Amino acid sequence: MLKKIWIIFIRDIRVNTREFMTLYMIIIPLVLAVGINFLSPGINDTSVNLALIENENTEQAAYFDDFAHVELFSDEQRVEDRVRARDDVVGILPKDNGYYIMTQGNESELVLGYAKLLNVLYESDVQLEDARSEIIEFGRTVPPLKKMLVNVLLLLISMLAGMLIAMNILEEKVDQTVSAINVTPTSRSAFILGKSLTGMFVALFSSIACLLITGFYNINLGQAALVVFSLTILSLLIGFIQGINSDDAMEAAGSVKLMFLPMAGSIAGYELVTGNWKIFFYWSPFYWAYRANDMILSKSGTWPQLILYIGIILVICGVAYALLAPRIRKGLQ
Amino acid sequence: MKLLSSFKKELILASRGFYFYVELIFALVILAVLLFAIPQNFSSTSTEYLYFNLPQEEKEIFINNILEDDLDAKSEMVEIEADGKIFNAELIITDESEIYIVDSEEAVRALADSEKVMGAVIELDGDNQLHYKYYLQGYESTRLKNLISILQNESTNVLEERIENQDVRPLSTDYEPLNDRENTIPPLIAFSGGLMGMFIMASYIFLDKKEGVIEAYAVTASSVWRYLMSKIFVVLLTSVVSGLIIIMPVIGFRINYGLLLLLLLTAGFFASSLGLLVASFYNNLMKAFSVIYLLIIILMVPSIAYFIPGWDPFWIKIIPSYPLLQGFKEIILPNGDIAYPLIVSAGFLAVGIILFAITNIRFKKTLSV
Repeated sequence: MLKKIWIIFIRDIRVNTREFMTLYMIIIPLVLAVGINFLSPGINDTSVNLALIENENTEQAAYFDDFAHVELFSDEQRVEDRVRARDDVVGILPKDNGYYIMTQGNESELVLGYAKLLNVLYESDVQLEDARSEIIEFGRTVPPLKKMLVNVLLLLISMLAGMLIAMNILEEKVDQTVSAINVTPTSRSAFILGKSLTGMFVALFSSIACLLITGFYNINLGQAALVVFSLTILSLLIGFIQGINSDDAMEAAGSVKLMFLPMAGSIAGYELVTGNWKIFFYWSPFYWAYRANDMILSKSGTWPQLILYIGIILVICGVAYALLAPRIRKGLQ
Repeated sequence: MKLLSSFKKELILASRGFYFYVELIFALVILAVLLFAIPQNFSSTSTEYLYFNLPQEEKEIFINNILEDDLDAKSEMVEIEADGKIFNAELIITDESEIYIVDSEEAVRALADSEKVMGAVIELDGDNQLHYKYYLQGYESTRLKNLISILQNESTNVLEERIENQDVRPLSTDYEPLNDRENTIPPLIAFSGGLMGMFIMASYIFLDKKEGVIEAYAVTASSVWRYLMSKIFVVLLTSVVSGLIIIMPVIGFRINYGLLLLLLLTAGFFASSLGLLVASFYNNLMKAFSVIYLLIIILMVPSIAYFIPGWDPFWIKIIPSYPLLQGFKEIILPNGDIAYPLIVSAGFLAVGIILFAITNIRFKKTLSV
């Protein structure tokens, strides 16, 4: 049976290398990885945005530029227009005896506090050259937001792979090739599994490539490969559930949407929920995959912890498969 | 009349399918998450590790100052682990942070490293002046590091007093901010209700192609645009119903529902027309889906700017989901700007009509073949 699955897989690879979809599955995650590289430095550098009048006080503008993003405008009206824009920009404008802070009125306390502090530091003539503090760094270069985006990308790849496996199976069902397989020595299960291997292989390749592109080449790639493997098992299960239980594209599309909810919920649960409330997300394999990825990307985990998380993912997938096995068998008929 | 009749038929067909109910269940699940899982305000406490390498008397002055902000004005002795070692610490919890005061620089270093937070050592230098040593991760921006390095040049009390006396002149004083729960609604309805229409419209078209509905349509008296529009109406109806399910229990009746419906309908029309246009270029559902999948990811990027108002580059503002998110926010905001959602709706309607017209021309040539 393994040989037959392998033959179907190799044939699929040959066919797919001429296909748009395989190229798409490989290229899109890589483009997104490059996009993350492009986005994250700008987001990480976000402090407060200040609007000043050009040439009114060049020394002040240069001073603020060391601590905040500074935009210069020709007059007070233009500064006011900028402050009124939808993002958070605070104006610092001259008055009779010093400067006042112009706000839109909807800025967070953090933004306003930062702007006030900078104005006080400037007025108090506190200079960077006189710094009395020493900074020691641990040498980490990847900001938390980038780590989070890469982690989300890894889960998205598994979802994409799952969706494609589902669509592959669905197309075979619609074309009635699954029934045609009955008259060949290959079993239906072997045929479907063989068709799914391409998606799993491409997901594995894309995940590793994305990790390398986004600069995570010094993480434990062995651990990462293990999580990616468990994610591809998850993709396979998602693909099976969606593809086999859907009779048409609308149902498959609806299923994809439903699958996004536990994924997004698990990420939000891990990032936002504190303390014991996290228990409510333990049922979701996405939660454990995200947690395992976070541990690897942070280079803070141990092998026993990782094996525990992967074990939980596989057990959840196994239980889901066992529960859905009768429907999957029925769907294959 | 033909359009209405087509819409009724589509609606009856949709009500028999799985998708219609997925939309409603999805909206109910989001509502449950909003009401029970998302707090009105996220607690955003930070963790700090401090070591005062100072004479006992000065150390107590620092600790007593911090204790003034403690919620119950009492500290608590705790044990914390880092790098396999246990460290004793005095924990002070304030509104904004959990401050652990440890008894060695080694503990600060180990805890800041393993917990990936900031640590600080306060000591005296050779001139008996206070010297601050900060342990940072390394990925902090240069601007933040600059600020940290000069923060202690002036006494905290002097800084606080001057900050209090700053002249702040807001342009508007009637602004009432949204709480965290309300603030999460615009992205949820934008993506669940509005933009997913693209995905669904493409699925509808390929389903009908497979079932031969389109060839059958070619021999009826009805036109292609009516067929497409009846499909869009079904998507718009589900989008409006699911949007209202999410918003009404959370916000109540304090918002302008006319504006909300207008923006939901025009954004849904735009997204559906875009989905149709993409579908018109492919003869294969998977290819169309892959393009739409990429479009949805691009459309999701402005939600980062939505949650980080300080990060708002120009290019993000030209992605259509940016004005959509801001439009929904203005509608939900007390005293929100009415003109903005109206302008955004007009924009979505205009672009939607253009996309629909192009799609109609393309489908006229290809659907009946």
